[in-house]
Amino acid sequence: MLLAVKNLTVCYDTAMLLNDVSLNVATGELVGVVGPNGAGKTTLLRTIAGLVRWERECKRGTKAGNITIDGEIHFDGQRIDKLPPDEIARRGLVLCPERRRPFRELSVLDNLRAGAYLVKDHRVFQQSLESVYTMFPILKARAGQVSGTLSGGEQQMLAIARALMTQPKLLCIDEPSTGLSPKIRAELFAKIREIAKSGLTVLLVEQDVSLAFSLSTRNYILSHSKVMAEGTSDELMKDEKVRQSYLGLAGPASA
Amino acid sequence: MLGNLLVSTLMSASVYAMLAVGFSLTFGVARIINLAHTAFYMVASYIIFTATMKMGLPLYVGVVAAVSLVVLLAMVTYKVLVDPMREHETTVLILTIGVALVLQELMFLWFGGYFRSVPTAVEGFTTLLGVRVSYQYVLTICVLIVTLALVWLLLMKTRLGLAIRATAQDREIANVMGMSDSRTATITVGIAAALAAIAGAIVAPLFIIEPRIWLSPLTVVLAISVLGGLGSLKGSILGAVIIALSENLVVFLVPQGAFFKGAFSLLIMIVVLLIRPEGLYGVAFEEER
Repeated sequence: MLLAVKNLTVCYDTAMLLNDVSLNVATGELVGVVGPNGAGKTTLLRTIAGLVRWERECKRGTKAGNITIDGEIHFDGQRIDKLPPDEIARRGLVLCPERRRPFRELSVLDNLRAGAYLVKDHRVFQQSLESVYTMFPILKARAGQVSGTLSGGEQQMLAIARALMTQPKLLCIDEPSTGLSPKIRAELFAKIREIAKSGLTVLLVEQDVSLAFSLSTRNYILSHSKVMAEGTSDELMKDEKVRQSYLGLAGPASA
Repeated sequence: MLGNLLVSTLMSASVYAMLAVGFSLTFGVARIINLAHTAFYMVASYIIFTATMKMGLPLYVGVVAAVSLVVLLAMVTYKVLVDPMREHETTVLILTIGVALVLQELMFLWFGGYFRSVPTAVEGFTTLLGVRVSYQYVLTICVLIVTLALVWLLLMKTRLGLAIRATAQDREIANVMGMSDSRTATITVGIAAALAAIAGAIVAPLFIIEPRIWLSPLTVVLAISVLGGLGSLKGSILGAVIIALSENLVVFLVPQGAFFKGAFSLLIMIVVLLIRPEGLYGVAFEEER
């Protein structure tokens, strides 16, 4: 297993955001995590990336810092749940965050450089820069532009490209489709499929179930802070209870 | 008179910019408002004074000693006192103003409230834009501008600079990209202190040294940060130029204007807060959950 999350429970003060969540991602898989708003999907990725623990460290001594994290996270054979986020990044796990969050006042190229912060070899940097430019030609055209002025779709491409620049072993993408037009969504998901085809392992959190299922090899359904179901897209689409309760699809599966 | 105005504006603008850039960087990266910032500038002047007048060392030794000791002092203060309190914003304000007052009282204790001065590095005068200025004055302006240019290069062209700029934009995501925010913050605090120390060291021969010289630059730096937008580099430099120019205009144009110049920068601050609270290049920090 490249990533193994074991019995993860996260509480912010008295609110339980993740309740005994276990999840596995094998090398080469594209695993989807779907579920309604507020199910804990973003918290799951933030915990894996070390940000929840970091947040607790930052806010220690205040009420907002009253966060408990239980359970274990293993990545690439090592336990990472006690590591700071920059160390987790160094091991090859990268998060492409919710709401894209480019470094808004930095140029597109500087954003990509920031992604490659841990890459010391200039040739490797040049190669990965070329490969993200090939994948997203618009970024090359906008290289000098301040990233805050890009459109939503372009910012999402930049966020994914920036994550790829870190040379990750596992790419965690949080809600890439939010706020994008159907056309841009389709384009973006074609790129994510391309990334997965190239052999990179992807953990994709997505609210749009049909989009997620169209890509993923396996899925977890997260609802009310718990894993409610697990399986391939086909299996889950056929499961009557899953369809009604978590996917918001009434009626039997159409062929 | 225009020459006079320009030369003295250039001088105050570069001193203010040195102080404001450090103050702003500290806010952007370490997320603290360091009211002890200009006290470091005052301490640097006293170290120069001790090195040159008390110990008889050459000026450049004093400058090196001042910068390194002040950087050390700032980093230790940050790690030991400020960092553990970081999330309590009001406490940080009280704490840093407390640090400034302690430093001020220590200087009173050790050096008394006398007006001190230190020797200049170079003697003589030249004429610049029709104004008679000392070589020391010219040297000071040059050093300040070169230092600012070096800081600009550091921020724009180096890996560390990239980490500082990225962290100032989004601390959380910078971490995800492998930039340790606590390390970047400590280094930034050091750089900010170095800038304050260089400013203090380099202008010491031109100004009078006494334990309260930190107070009026602090109000000016606050005014600049509000005007330029807290956390913005461009804003700090542009704000420094605007405040320096308006201060000097007041001094030159208004009778008895020298008494008003401090009040005038505060007036600018109040007007900006009323009209455009985020300042010229205000950074709207994304809410971190």
